[in-house]
Amino acid sequence: MLLGIDVGGTFTDAVIVGGGRVLAKAKAPTTQPRLLDGVLAALDAALAGCHPAGLKRVALSTTIVTNTVVEGKADRPRLLLMSGPGLAVTGLVPAEPYILSGYVDHRGREVVSPAAAQVEAVCSGFAADEVFAVAGKFAVRNPGPELKVAQWLERYARPAHVTMGAALSGSLNFVRRANSAYYNAAVWRQFGRFAAAVREALAGRGITAPVYILKADGGTMPLDAAGERPVETVFTGPAASVLGVQAVAAPAGEALSLDIGGTTTDIALWQDGRPLFAGRGARIEGYPTAVRSFWVKSVGVGGDSHVRREAGQLAVGPGRLGPAMAAGGPAPTVSDAVIAAGRAAFGDRSKAVEAMRQVAAPGKSPADTAEEVLAAAAAKICAAVRQMIEERAAEPVYRVEDIVSGVRPHPRTVVGVGGAAGALAPLVAAQLGLACDVPADATVANAIGAALARPTLEITLRADTAQGYYTVAELGLRAALDDRRLSLADAETLAARHLADRASQAGIAARDVETVFAEEFSLVRGFATTGKIISCRLQIKPGVCSGPDEEGA
Amino acid sequence: MEAKPFGLVFFPAFDWAISPTHPERQERLLYTRDQIVEEGLLDLPGIREYRPRLAAIADAERVHIGVPDIASLITDAHLVSAGGAITAAEAVLRGEVARAFALVRPPGHHAMRVVHGTRGFCTINIEAVMIEYLRRHHGIRRVAVVDTDVHHGDGTQDIFYHDPDTLFISFHQDGRTLYPGTGFTDEAGGPAAFGATLNLPLPPGTTDEGLHYVLDELILPVLEEFQPELVINSAGQDNHYSDPLAGMAITAQGYARLADKLKADIAVLEGGYSIEDALPYVNTGIILAMAGLDYSKVVEPDLPRVSRGMDAGMKGWLEKLVADQRDLWRQRERLGREAAARAGDFWQRRRNIYYDDSGISEQQRETLRLCPACNGFLTIASEAEGRDCGRKSVLAGVILKNSCPVCRRQAYDTVHKAKKLGAFQHYIIQDKDNDLYERI
Repeated sequence: MLLGIDVGGTFTDAVIVGGGRVLAKAKAPTTQPRLLDGVLAALDAALAGCHPAGLKRVALSTTIVTNTVVEGKADRPRLLLMSGPGLAVTGLVPAEPYILSGYVDHRGREVVSPAAAQVEAVCSGFAADEVFAVAGKFAVRNPGPELKVAQWLERYARPAHVTMGAALSGSLNFVRRANSAYYNAAVWRQFGRFAAAVREALAGRGITAPVYILKADGGTMPLDAAGERPVETVFTGPAASVLGVQAVAAPAGEALSLDIGGTTTDIALWQDGRPLFAGRGARIEGYPTAVRSFWVKSVGVGGDSHVRREAGQLAVGPGRLGPAMAAGGPAPTVSDAVIAAGRAAFGDRSKAVEAMRQVAAPGKSPADTAEEVLAAAAAKICAAVRQMIEERAAEPVYRVEDIVSGVRPHPRTVVGVGGAAGALAPLVAAQLGLACDVPADATVANAIGAALARPTLEITLRADTAQGYYTVAELGLRAALDDRRLSLADAETLAARHLADRASQAGIAARDVETVFAEEFSLVRGFATTGKIISCRLQIKPGVCSGPDEEGA
Repeated sequence: MEAKPFGLVFFPAFDWAISPTHPERQERLLYTRDQIVEEGLLDLPGIREYRPRLAAIADAERVHIGVPDIASLITDAHLVSAGGAITAAEAVLRGEVARAFALVRPPGHHAMRVVHGTRGFCTINIEAVMIEYLRRHHGIRRVAVVDTDVHHGDGTQDIFYHDPDTLFISFHQDGRTLYPGTGFTDEAGGPAAFGATLNLPLPPGTTDEGLHYVLDELILPVLEEFQPELVINSAGQDNHYSDPLAGMAITAQGYARLADKLKADIAVLEGGYSIEDALPYVNTGIILAMAGLDYSKVVEPDLPRVSRGMDAGMKGWLEKLVADQRDLWRQRERLGREAAARAGDFWQRRRNIYYDDSGISEQQRETLRLCPACNGFLTIASEAEGRDCGRKSVLAGVILKNSCPVCRRQAYDTVHKAKKLGAFQHYIIQDKDNDLYERI
């Protein structure tokens, strides 16, 4: 049995999955600021009647990182940057940075070395036990200077924690890595406390199964490993819902998924049965980071969205004034329209009808008005879907072949999950002229997604055969190449080996490794080929556990 | 009100090369991509990236006469880079961005009106295709092109040589010392467009200070006086001190300050082959400057070895150049009238044009009808011979804008008569008024 818990904005869901079925599910209100109370309430309710020894795994999707930041409980890390020449970074990062000397160029050559004396001087003003973030431009091409600075910090500042940018992401984008490192260090302490409280609470219930935590990219990682990289667990709500769609509906080919919740609908696009990733990374407090995530667009339409007339025009969302009038709320909502239209039966139907009467156009019946409200809500979702398709089609590409062949998404099916999916998803599908699927268990799909999410890891290898070395940024590794005739296939083999090592250290099985990015350029100097630059990124494929043997993992 | 963003069309054509070891190869913009992405430029709210569209063959044939035809001379990459320039320009004209940079390859400024093959790495002239597209679809008339590539923009000069509505200013390393060996001060435009071509041959080794002297004293004042609707920068980057194909001494700061002062509406990448030591920095500098952002920290790692001042020899050369070209500019109307009077009814030039990449030699005779009632028409007789293509020839009549009925008829008559004699393989009418490209 696998236990999955998803902490949402309004509710915390827990499910127990076994043998490919949902064995138990429970809902409890999300508790702010003590998230753990709600988690344990949902967990206890789901576990009633189950024996904890039967649990093989506990997976948790939380908003702890977001909460820590939003509530101002995050630390304010010291941000040390080696920005070298280029864009002035002040204002692009969340704190006033300490700019250190030291500079690596685009080929990974250390043009200027960082200076220990400078780090020592900077540290003289710091107390012990502070948290630090260090990032260097092109550190993914040469992690050495970041490592050196981190070592000097250990010596001169006696820090509680140091995050290095290149260890969090092997991708180019110095500003994003700096921001990732900053927020990782900022939430490190609070996340550690949360993880300890989770461990203690589970132990108190006799649960000894390993605990995993969901990441924004839809994979999980062991709670212990997450302690060093907590920033990756930011924004896992959309990830859980996308995985939930995969678990309960497994869309084939091109599809479109809608998670229609209380106040928002999260839209994702699917290709070849897999959700699309965001081109860059998530934003935290408006700052772009290198945290990989699914490409999910939120539109302010959900079951609790406030419905009213503004100058004769029907308006839906994005605000929420409370639950549906049928459920005792103060104002008309989309859910009232669902009930009044006879598409679902919960709460007090007469109050739902009254809600529709309040927003009816002159001469219109509550039933007609309910249909008008639902059509308006669906139209808002459709507009966001169309915009998403346009954005995808307009995404810059850098090869002639990609321009000529084009990549315009043509979804065939709409998959709806979440509380209001049953009523709204078919309307959206009808407006878009697509087939619609609202699977069973759609209302707890996100918790199922968390329960079944596979552990993942990624690794980025870049080899420069002309200079005779390769780097793996996530490992802080820069090593000599044994053979300068390295091919792309050789590089992928080498990367797979490092990925397997890294996985085993983190306690993850390295199965289903795939290459998600590969690039190979010949270097020509003076009309002769002098080497190659090869880059590849490999990952353990994210997704959901598919069979009973995997459930034991 | 928030300032409008800056538009970037970045298209490094990572799957296209003239040949594996040619300067125009996959690797050319690799390090530029690395620098742009690593700096996080594409995340800045003031920068908006666009995906290039594909230009149509008809967009190229609005400008060029291809022999045997444009489609067989180009690859899809050329349509993407020309389309990228159009994408950048349309973002500006739609008002979505304040200015835009088409950081695209392959380049285009050596491609002339008649195209037999590839010369100076260029097959179709992407700025000219863009300009004529804007004139056709957006009602633009007056345009200035400032070519800041180290090589003379002979293709752009050729295409607009008789167009008084296009001011073409090119500074470049003196043609006596560098490909394509043209761009001297006496190339100043046909009699109907005299002074609308201004060439500024610079001495090898010209520094930031020297270049900015010419910019401040001549280029900016002339632009101010011409009052174009759009300023286009053919933004070659091979004046950089590290460029392997030329011998100038401009730095990334020199280029960025140039972009800052020029305030081009649209910049289009041309050459630049110091792919590791110059392009990452020069492109970052130009992008930041055009976007109105701080570019003061964009410096090359090896910058200290470069002189940025101006010695007496360089100063003397540049002062004379500026004085001469200022005179030409001031007296352009009189000089144009005199040139027309000397020519009579027909102005003519003969040229030999070499296509270094394709190994083709072309002999061309260009005749302009100087019509008192309109802009007249061109007759171009061109014969070429190449190692791979054998002999090719074309006779083309080009009906210029605002043509009179007499000139239109004469242009058609000329081509039809020539076809009866049968001395050429291809007979073409290119009609600028009606946007027509016709095989006779």
